[in-house]
Amino acid sequence: MKTVIHEVKSPRAGDSYYQIKHQSGLNMYVYPKQGYRSAYAIIGAKYGSINTCFSGDGGEKITVPDGIAHYLEHKLFESAEGDAFTRYAETGASANAYTSFEKTCYLFSCTDKFDESFEILLDFVQDPYFTPQTVQKEQGIIGQEIKMYDDSPDWRVMFNMLGGMYHNHPVKIDIAGTVETIADITAEKLYACYNTFYNLNNMVLCVAGNVTVEQVLAICDRMLKPSEPHTIETYFEDEPYEIVEPYVEQRFAVSMPIFNLGFKERAGQTLSEQKLAQTDILLSALASPTSALYRDLMDNNLINSSFSYELFEGPGYCAVIFSGESRAPKQAAEKIKQYIAAVKEKGLSDEDFTIAKKAVYGDVISSLNSVGSIANMIVDYHVNGNELFTYIDAVAATEKADVDNRLQEMLDVCNCTLSVVCNADEAE
Amino acid sequence: MSNINRIRLGDGVYFNDVRDSRFKTMKITANMIVPLRADTASANALICGVLSRSCKAYPDFTALSKKLSALYGAELNASMRKAGDNQVLTLSVSGLDDRYTLEGESVARELSLLLCSVIFEPNLCDGVFVPGEVEQEKRQLLDLMDSECNDKRIYANGQLIRHMCAGEVFGIKRYGTAESVRAQTPQSLTAAWKQLLQTAVFEILYIGDSAPDKAVEVFRAAFDGAARIPQITQTEIIRQAGEPKFVTETMNIAQAKLVMGFRAGTALPDSEVTAATLMTAVLGGTANSKLFCNVREKQSLCYYCGARYDKMKGLVIIDSGVEGENIEKLQAGVRKEIEDMQNGVITDFEIEATKMAIINTYYSSNDTVSGIESWYATQLFDGAFKTIEEMTDKLNAVTKEEIVAAANRLTLDTVYVLKNQ
Repeated sequence: MKTVIHEVKSPRAGDSYYQIKHQSGLNMYVYPKQGYRSAYAIIGAKYGSINTCFSGDGGEKITVPDGIAHYLEHKLFESAEGDAFTRYAETGASANAYTSFEKTCYLFSCTDKFDESFEILLDFVQDPYFTPQTVQKEQGIIGQEIKMYDDSPDWRVMFNMLGGMYHNHPVKIDIAGTVETIADITAEKLYACYNTFYNLNNMVLCVAGNVTVEQVLAICDRMLKPSEPHTIETYFEDEPYEIVEPYVEQRFAVSMPIFNLGFKERAGQTLSEQKLAQTDILLSALASPTSALYRDLMDNNLINSSFSYELFEGPGYCAVIFSGESRAPKQAAEKIKQYIAAVKEKGLSDEDFTIAKKAVYGDVISSLNSVGSIANMIVDYHVNGNELFTYIDAVAATEKADVDNRLQEMLDVCNCTLSVVCNADEAE
Repeated sequence: MSNINRIRLGDGVYFNDVRDSRFKTMKITANMIVPLRADTASANALICGVLSRSCKAYPDFTALSKKLSALYGAELNASMRKAGDNQVLTLSVSGLDDRYTLEGESVARELSLLLCSVIFEPNLCDGVFVPGEVEQEKRQLLDLMDSECNDKRIYANGQLIRHMCAGEVFGIKRYGTAESVRAQTPQSLTAAWKQLLQTAVFEILYIGDSAPDKAVEVFRAAFDGAARIPQITQTEIIRQAGEPKFVTETMNIAQAKLVMGFRAGTALPDSEVTAATLMTAVLGGTANSKLFCNVREKQSLCYYCGARYDKMKGLVIIDSGVEGENIEKLQAGVRKEIEDMQNGVITDFEIEATKMAIINTYYSSNDTVSGIESWYATQLFDGAFKTIEEMTDKLNAVTKEEIVAAANRLTLDTVYVLKNQ
């Protein structure tokens, strides 16, 4: 296979980047930014906490412990010669990694010695080194990471909600697993996961900032070991459309109760750029500080400025989540549902639509300021089969009727779960 | 760093202009600096919120929000922080640069005017703030104070300062107490707002592509001929801790928190501040720091264990989350790393790597609007703005001996532990 390069331009945003299918199999994006001193590189595998039951190339079906993708992320930094952080220390780059539901990403940012740091990144993600001793050592560290999240009411309220929404889909399982599940992780299991998912054809790279496409390609040509295309099958049990239960509550050491109200959406193909644009405008019109809903909730002391909303989407799951702090979460949820039902009846107002469209457009253009946010967005869009500039054009082209139609397909007020974390004495 | 042009507009009023065409947005931030005081902290914090909710031209929250959204999702934000013994109240506007609007609208000029309106022409009713808005803001601030307990790491750090700095001005929370928030009225807040306009030092920072002429003009006019008595407090620095204090609290939690507070023995405007900054970073500021490599990686005791230096107050704070039964082990581990540094057990590699990591953050900050803003905001009390090159030179000049000396100036003041019941 030969490397194929394609330039993507956005006259609207005043930017352009290169989309590349590298000869090694890797999907690449290079987004040079004039006048910037820093560069940000991120490489990710389409492999996250939900991929717990899978097969590669039609082979045997394997089930692995919950939390293993995140564990692998921690361990990949180590090699026989030492760990990648020590190597980055010689270049001054600031490095990190994270695991989400559907992907695992490794990244760094630097203002000097880009080539050296980039070589470190490409080297260690292609060089797994797991031994019983190194695997054992991580139990204590990740155990404390899990316990830190156990004390996080924001984290708990979200997973409690996912448990209330999803019968079978592994999105309801904590990304890091539990202290018990990670105890079953072995070097062999880590290799099985690595060899299946860390195939360059299943990975994506984005570099943004002070780089040229030639510079990035020269290093990739030298460092990337060609991967044969292969098929990966992740198995999910069938997930019914209906939620599990409408209300979940946990008593917790908090002084301010918090809630997540999740609307379970039909999850098939991930949303196209057009549907994504329509959804973002719709949610802004419904629930941003501009909306009548926000005003009503605020005037009735049912929310504070922590109130927010998001579209939560990935392979086999899709939901819209409204979240915030509230002294009366049930009343807040009821008002949100009533408002959505009313807007479904009469449609959005022209003013709400126009304002929301401008706000969403301004947001995405603003996010092109930072090399980090650019690279992260491109990777996120890639994983869902989308493209950033197509999304920007889609926002600009969205009409009110599109958004009204979109609303009719989603936000089923009979299919949502309210999750609350509160102190014992604050339960309604 | 992008060049900064500083213009004096009046007594204690400065407009700082940073011109940069790389960004797709512009931002203006008004920093209002006042002495931190128990009797004014809550009123000031509330004013900041009330001013950001509405103004004469957009007299309620929804009208103002609609205006901002129509300006391509522009933002108007209010925040407050402590800087040593000062309270810094911040109101900022940011939005799309005019080059990127869909219909060629001028967002920058409108936002400049809007920021001035919220500061100088609030929505008053019979000469005072609107009672409903004041009540709303009081509720929000009380919620915010309560929500800090939701995050155990923030809570534990707050408790450390509370105990360590009890009786010092720095021990006052950035928004005062719940009691003083509840006691505020539309009248008291209106009086406090007038007082703020008269006594706060205004440091206005503009970052954008076009000349901020309109904003300069409006700010100049607003302060023209005003009799101002700007005040800034000299922060009280305690250079050496007395006998260490140990505080333990229990709560129903999964993970214990350990926070150790040290007096650094040096603070602004001392020249040793740079060495103290580097020393703290070698100890616990990077993924190659002594605490990360030994306490986390070698001993597997925790997920995070970091050190940070408050150069205004002269404190070094180390915080971590740990299994309850390992608190002693963790404390011993932290002390061992500090002792090593005091005894000069620091490699050239550790020093060079840490310098490079810090310099990387310096240069990176110049590539974002928020980075440029915080570069200058953190230097507001330094006497003069330094460039990245100047800061880099100062950092690179720090020797191992100076780092060891900085470590030897550390004295343990307070250990705070939050444990499971």
